[in-house]
Amino acid sequence: MTSTSERTPRRRSAVALMLVLAVLAAFVIRLVDIQVVNADEHRADSMNLGFASSRVLWGERGSIVDQNGAVLAGSTVLYDAELDPSLVAEIKRKGPDGEVVKVPWEDVAAEIGAITGQSPEEVQAIVANALAVNPEARWAQLKKGLDVDQYRALADLRVPFMFFTRHPDRSYPDGAVAGNLVGFVGAENTPQEGLELSMDSCLAASDGRERFERGNNGETIPGTVTTEPAVDGGTLQLTINRDLQWYLQQLIAEETQNMRALSGTVTVVEVETGKIRAAAEYPTVDPNNVDGAAPDDRGSRIFRHSFEPGSTFKAVTAASIMDGGSATPNSTVQAPSSHTFPNGARINDAVGHPLTNYTLTGALVDSSNVALSMFGDMVEPAVRHEYLERFGVGAPTAVGFLGEASGTLHPVEKWDNQTRYSTTFGQAFTVTAPQVAGAYQAIANGGLKMPIRLIESCTTPDGTVIEPELPEPQQILREDVANDTALMVENVMAQGQLQKALAIPGYRVAAKTGTAEVPAPGGGYKAGVYFTSLAGFAPADDPKYVVVVTLEEPTAIRSSAATAPAFQKAMTQVLKTYRVLPSSSETPLLPRYQ
Amino acid sequence: MSAAVRADGSAASIDLDLDLDQPAPRRHLHAVAQVRRRPRFAYALVAVAGALAIGAAQVVLSIATTQGVYEEAALQQQVRELGWQQQSLSDAVVGLSSPQYLAANAASLGMVINQSPTYLRLSDGAVLGSGEAAGWLSTVDAIGRGSVPNALVAQTPLVTAPDATIAGAPVAAEADPEAGVPGLPQPLADGLPTPTTR
Repeated sequence: MTSTSERTPRRRSAVALMLVLAVLAAFVIRLVDIQVVNADEHRADSMNLGFASSRVLWGERGSIVDQNGAVLAGSTVLYDAELDPSLVAEIKRKGPDGEVVKVPWEDVAAEIGAITGQSPEEVQAIVANALAVNPEARWAQLKKGLDVDQYRALADLRVPFMFFTRHPDRSYPDGAVAGNLVGFVGAENTPQEGLELSMDSCLAASDGRERFERGNNGETIPGTVTTEPAVDGGTLQLTINRDLQWYLQQLIAEETQNMRALSGTVTVVEVETGKIRAAAEYPTVDPNNVDGAAPDDRGSRIFRHSFEPGSTFKAVTAASIMDGGSATPNSTVQAPSSHTFPNGARINDAVGHPLTNYTLTGALVDSSNVALSMFGDMVEPAVRHEYLERFGVGAPTAVGFLGEASGTLHPVEKWDNQTRYSTTFGQAFTVTAPQVAGAYQAIANGGLKMPIRLIESCTTPDGTVIEPELPEPQQILREDVANDTALMVENVMAQGQLQKALAIPGYRVAAKTGTAEVPAPGGGYKAGVYFTSLAGFAPADDPKYVVVVTLEEPTAIRSSAATAPAFQKAMTQVLKTYRVLPSSSETPLLPRYQ
Repeated sequence: MSAAVRADGSAASIDLDLDLDQPAPRRHLHAVAQVRRRPRFAYALVAVAGALAIGAAQVVLSIATTQGVYEEAALQQQVRELGWQQQSLSDAVVGLSSPQYLAANAASLGMVINQSPTYLRLSDGAVLGSGEAAGWLSTVDAIGRGSVPNALVAQTPLVTAPDATIAGAPVAAEADPEAGVPGLPQPLADGLPTPTTR
């Protein structure tokens, strides 16, 4: 047994040992905490301390280009100049002989003002005002949005209390050309409208950063550089042709003014591919000067406004009944100018005429609502509804434009007695201009409906070309039915009232007008004003391009004849732009009456 | 040399032990010792020279990298300056390539956009299309009724009509007596320009 005298030192040493171990354990825990648990944080701290310098590597937002690569939206850089009012004083410069010259602040202000376009008093006032608010003010905005020349000139003044922030900006070299499609960006390149917004995933860039240690003279110390590279945005190529787009915008602007209409649009679609070659409208927006356009004019009416197409869709009705074999271009009905159908619906023609033996072609040429209603009765309403859907009514086009309207097509069960007939001549449902163009593209292309597209591709900075995903082309009509329909639409032009106004020397042209009533704000329809349209394609013997012109409420000429000059000039320009050769044959005339 | 002698001696003492079993190896050891002695000096020289060479190479490399860094810094400065220059130039021409500016310039020269396209087929010389000459009026009035705005060139005078812009509006043009007659090329001052040939 050990004595107390022996136990005490042992206990002491045991306690001491325990203490030492406890302290050691604390150190170990702290070590693990530093080296393992919080290692990343400390490493980052040390990087910030050691790699004191860093530089932003600016990524550049991608361009939007047209069919041929002409830039519609490009990136540029602007600079903001700022002052530190608390440091404002005379500055010292080296004179021509190397001696130090003192330049008073008043002279510096004059030099600055000469570059920024401000008067010396204005520059001095900026500093004085900032100091008046806060005598120790460290910041005052001198001028925003300086271009690179002004920035370099200011930097060359070597004013120690002036500094700059760089911010990316967007410029639209062609101004309002395709402004309705391209859209625009807001401050700091925030996309706000159009393709700038909807295709931001292609266009957006991400900034990188380079960290390094600097030597005494500002040079980078080798081996200390770490780089997160900037990623530039991709290049968005559209199917638009900017020269054609400009011409059509100029044209529709003049025609909208000539016809004293509220607005106008021209849409051009390539028959073989479904590519939109131009989508012009007036009034529209110059993305360089968004504030210069009324809020309603800053978007795209073409894709967002839907209307009752009216007679342009009589061709679709004709195709629908012929495709099932119920009629041919020469099938006839006996139609008066006003008729009450067995279900009680009453249909009137726009122009009075005696009881006439109309062929289907003749019904289209004279645009007889009564005759079309009678022809429409040859198939069930459900069949016509299905064909309207096949032609693209009621669903947005494959373009998927930001805020694109789908139009309205009510289910066939909800068609009332009047609707059953009014749908045969393009009423009681609504479409957008690209949907009309899509329907005519199918008729012109042998019944093969191509998805309408506006975007050619997105090319990423590494050269990968990404094409948009599109639905498969669909054969919505038998080829012979589509060709018969196309020939009938050509006869509408050749035998109709607008033959002279629409003729393009040397070319066979197919075209059909449409006049739709405009809903009034309080319900019902506006009296005496219409939404007029004209859809057609050329050359009719080998269709290459579909053109759809619309005018909203023209008042110089109130009928669809108002759109004829615009259509004729637009189609001529399209044919010239794409060097489409003139037709080598005449339009075969089909009988109108029997 | 004394070290070699001592080495011999120790070798001899080992020999004594080994002699108990095998009598032969003395000559063998001797030869090895002589072979070893000379290269030691050579190795030392090689090692020292190598160390010096490495040191020198390091200095050269270090100088080269430092030099490279200065060059890189200078080149990067050049890249920045060229970038500014490029941006300045592209800012200066942006908008001048726009279709409305081109069309307004062409229209002010009296050029018209023809209504009826006509083609000449090269294979047989046939004229396709209407074959009519262009009329007096353009199909669109690019200068009188310019309706496609472009803020970038809204204030820029046309090249062919210095008192007009794409909107057709007169700009406040300063009278410059040396500019010659508006719309006409600059008068020749130094005779006809001649191309430089090499």
